[in-house]
Amino acid sequence: MGDAPRSTVRFRGRPLSLPRGATLVQALVRGRLPILQRSIRYHRPRAPSCGTGACSQCLVRVNGRPNVRACLYRPATDDVIRTENAWPSPEFDLFGALDAVFPRGLDTVHGFRRPAVFAPLYHRVIRRLAGFGRMADTPGPTPPPGRTVPTDALVVGAGPSGRAAAQHLASAGRSTVLVDRGSTGDPLPGVTAYDTTTVVFLPPPLSGGERPFRAIAVRDGGEALRLAARTVVVATGGYDGPLLFPGNDRPGVMTAEGALAFTPPGGDPPFRRALLVGGGPRAAELLDAAGAHIEAVVAPTQIAPTVVGRASALGIPLYPRTLLLAAKGRHRLRSVLLRRRGEGAPFSLEVDAVVLAHRRLPQPQLFFQAGARMAWRSAGGAYFPVLTDGATSVPGLFACGTAVGHPDRADAAASGVAAADAALGRTGAPAGGPTLVPDGPPHELEGYYRELLDGARRRGKWVLCPCEDVLLREVETASRGGYRGIEVIKRFTGIGTGLCQGRYCLPDALLLLAILEGRPPSDVGYITQRPPVVPVPLGALAELPDAPEAA
Amino acid sequence: MNRPARGRYRVAIVGGGVVGLFTAYHLARAGAGPIVVVDRGFLSSGASGRNGGGVRQQWETAATVRLARESVAAWRRFGREFGFNIWFRPGGYLFLAGTRDELGRLAEVHRVVAGEGLPAELLDRDGVARHADGLSLDGVVGGTFLRSDGTLYPFPVLWGLSETLRSLGVELLYGVEATGLRLEDGRVTGLATAAGPIEAAAVVNAAGGWSAEFTRRAGLVAFNEARRHEILATEPLKPFLDPMVVRLSDGLYFSQTMRGEIVGGLTVPHPPGTAGGMSSSPEFLVRMARALTGLLPRVRGLGILRAWSGYYDENPDGLPSIGEDPRRPGLFHANGFGGHGFMLAPASTRRVAQAVLGEPTDLDPAQFHPGRFLDAHRAAPAEGLTLG
Ligand SMILES: Cc1cc2nc3c(=O)[nH]c(=O)nc-3n(C[C@H](O)[C@H](O)[C@H](O)COP(=O)(O)OP(=O)(O)OC[C@H]3O[C@@H](n4cnc5c(N)ncnc54)[C@H](O)[C@@H]3O)c2cc1C
Repeated sequence: MGDAPRSTVRFRGRPLSLPRGATLVQALVRGRLPILQRSIRYHRPRAPSCGTGACSQCLVRVNGRPNVRACLYRPATDDVIRTENAWPSPEFDLFGALDAVFPRGLDTVHGFRRPAVFAPLYHRVIRRLAGFGRMADTPGPTPPPGRTVPTDALVVGAGPSGRAAAQHLASAGRSTVLVDRGSTGDPLPGVTAYDTTTVVFLPPPLSGGERPFRAIAVRDGGEALRLAARTVVVATGGYDGPLLFPGNDRPGVMTAEGALAFTPPGGDPPFRRALLVGGGPRAAELLDAAGAHIEAVVAPTQIAPTVVGRASALGIPLYPRTLLLAAKGRHRLRSVLLRRRGEGAPFSLEVDAVVLAHRRLPQPQLFFQAGARMAWRSAGGAYFPVLTDGATSVPGLFACGTAVGHPDRADAAASGVAAADAALGRTGAPAGGPTLVPDGPPHELEGYYRELLDGARRRGKWVLCPCEDVLLREVETASRGGYRGIEVIKRFTGIGTGLCQGRYCLPDALLLLAILEGRPPSDVGYITQRPPVVPVPLGALAELPDAPEAA
Repeated sequence: MNRPARGRYRVAIVGGGVVGLFTAYHLARAGAGPIVVVDRGFLSSGASGRNGGGVRQQWETAATVRLARESVAAWRRFGREFGFNIWFRPGGYLFLAGTRDELGRLAEVHRVVAGEGLPAELLDRDGVARHADGLSLDGVVGGTFLRSDGTLYPFPVLWGLSETLRSLGVELLYGVEATGLRLEDGRVTGLATAAGPIEAAAVVNAAGGWSAEFTRRAGLVAFNEARRHEILATEPLKPFLDPMVVRLSDGLYFSQTMRGEIVGGLTVPHPPGTAGGMSSSPEFLVRMARALTGLLPRVRGLGILRAWSGYYDENPDGLPSIGEDPRRPGLFHANGFGGHGFMLAPASTRRVAQAVLGEPTDLDPAQFHPGRFLDAHRAAPAEGLTLG
């Protein structure tokens, strides 16, 4: 990267030169991740983790604007970048003492009531803890005016399945818009593509009218779009799921997506020796991308032959059916404690990162928003849309790819074509029965968690919801107190109400509540998926024109 | 399914939101006898788990000011009485007028509120600026402010009530739908439910946005109707806004919660009734974004975190219905609270309990009695300050 163009910004008061086009996190990676944030209640140190702008762990202040996601933000020359929510800095934050002072957590539901004369003081203290950044210094620039984009077909997501669907629709003569929150890839003939564009709201279709779908999307740079479409194909793919263990929020614990996103182009990954968690295709990808820096592979269950083959070739030890008991280290991760399931003594490994690649979850928000019928599939441990030949239960709404359970690339492209065929009214596509993911025995992590929680010595904080710093203990207490079902537990404890809107706590919370309540996860319920899918700036929406009439 | 533990109760309450639970609490404290609450949802599934937590004592009608003032005292005590911290924070309510007419209306509100002995302030433009930082004052001519108004966190209210009620022996049956009344000679003898019949000498309709539906299930004409009301929360920020701000012209309101989120709403017309579901609309998001960035420009880059909606249960005169239905002895109403049933619950439900127990209340029947809409010639003052 030696003579690639560079920009100079002010980062925490000092000049910093970084390669142009890199994200802020990529620019700050030096064989390890920067600690950029402190958590909201206990001021635990936090480093970037999800790599998709969804979590709350890399927020910084850019040019007087709070809560900018450093994992997505590509700095421009003369930017002034500061950290937030820590004093004097995220590495050494005096408020971090809270974590030690309240080892069992802070009870804001019952506590802080007495004596009544202290109420104003408690309010001031607790309010100060809330929030990450301070209000913006200025209103900032007016975003570009929003606009309405009419199209026959809208395809959301430009992975293999979405691209295949878009291409197929366009070749059948339909005007087609393809959007992706990242890149849409190489141009496709006849397809209008929008890069870095996120569909945040897909309301149910209007009754009657030419273009019954009115999706709202927001582009990088703040332009809002109203995408008016006759047909929508959702191909929003999946994301790497969470895993609960004490210290699961330590700097150095990241998702596979994060590990890939934080690695500078052509550079080294954000760790020197990582523990890779997972035994499936995603773990294989990570071995290909960063094998030289993987210390060991552990999996909650079995490890697939492809992973065994790759790891063995690299001389990496494998630990199938192993519990991740704890991640240790004072600030950053230093080691992990492991134990074979069902037997044996705990042992530790020195690692500086844990990369979670054990579980790929669908992104179901748009289906829920649009009112599609969903079904819990225990094999996938998630909700999937009920499909008939690529069609959801909502007329005009189709789906394909990982979002509906097609695990690998070849299948995904075929499912894209099938969904497009269904949208074009060509039936007989071979997409199969009502859902792709079979229902079956309980999800494998349910057994894993049963074993992990059974008799485990509870040391350290098990942060079930990292955005709101909600501990597993709080959920257990609420559950024992008679609060049942995820909707009630959410309101009682605050899990799922933070910046990621449940992406990184809900999947585990469903399994854990199933164990605590003694009923299947599907009976625990689900959190209503409220718009927007990711936070959208008020200013962008304010610039959107009023909706054209339905007819 | 939850099932009633006994065959006969003194009172059966339909709806386990804040109104039903607080009614049960006053009844239990008065030793009314066995009480059961049936609710087809879960605890917090109705408007009581979906509201903005605003608590104000500024109203056009003196009777409402009094209910609100008594309720504020109850909110202050709540932590001690129920063991849960509801974070009631008196940051004040700041009403904004955009025209001379609106300011005239607020001056009238101010007169009523001050007449009840509350230290409300009537503000000019500079006065408004003193109470909230960062507001764009274009289009603001003045307002009112009352410091002892504020916000609370609704959920722990529900936890505190339900735990206390259980310890008082009140049965709470969530997941059980009330399908109608049981009658004998035109008098209420109980409730028909999905879990079977429940005998009760009195039934209270505290079904919130669905109370008109329940009234109709009881075979009666309802005068109230449900209106979907939308609301949103932004990403959390460090504290910068103390009061709840309400704008008269469009009903825009917002405050900053203890968690740092800006929570607020705006009136977007929706057809009446509950058929549309409790979802969010793009129209609301866009209008709310325009209104909020217009009045508080520095939120322009701030992200909307989530939006949701619930039902306002609205009476034609903006006042709730409290008391026995003259058409159906034994059926009591505790509904029609519009967008303010949470803040008014402690004091209003005390009157509901009194009515159920056959005790006199201090409420003017022309303003609060459920039978008032049957009288075409009534001329009691209505409550017009129903926004926010
Ligand atoms: C978005 C929004 C913001 C608001 N903001 C504020 C505010 O800032 N301040 C304020 O004071 N108020 C506010 N309100 C109004 C306030 O929330 C309500 O007035 C109050 O919660 C009503 O309480 P409730 O117990 O009557 O109704 P609910 O909480 O709705 O409870 C009614 C219950 O009845 C049950 N039910 C209905 N029909 C049946 C049946 N047939 N059988 C069994 N059960 C049934 C429902 O499941 C529900 O749980 C707001 C409301 C909304 C929607």
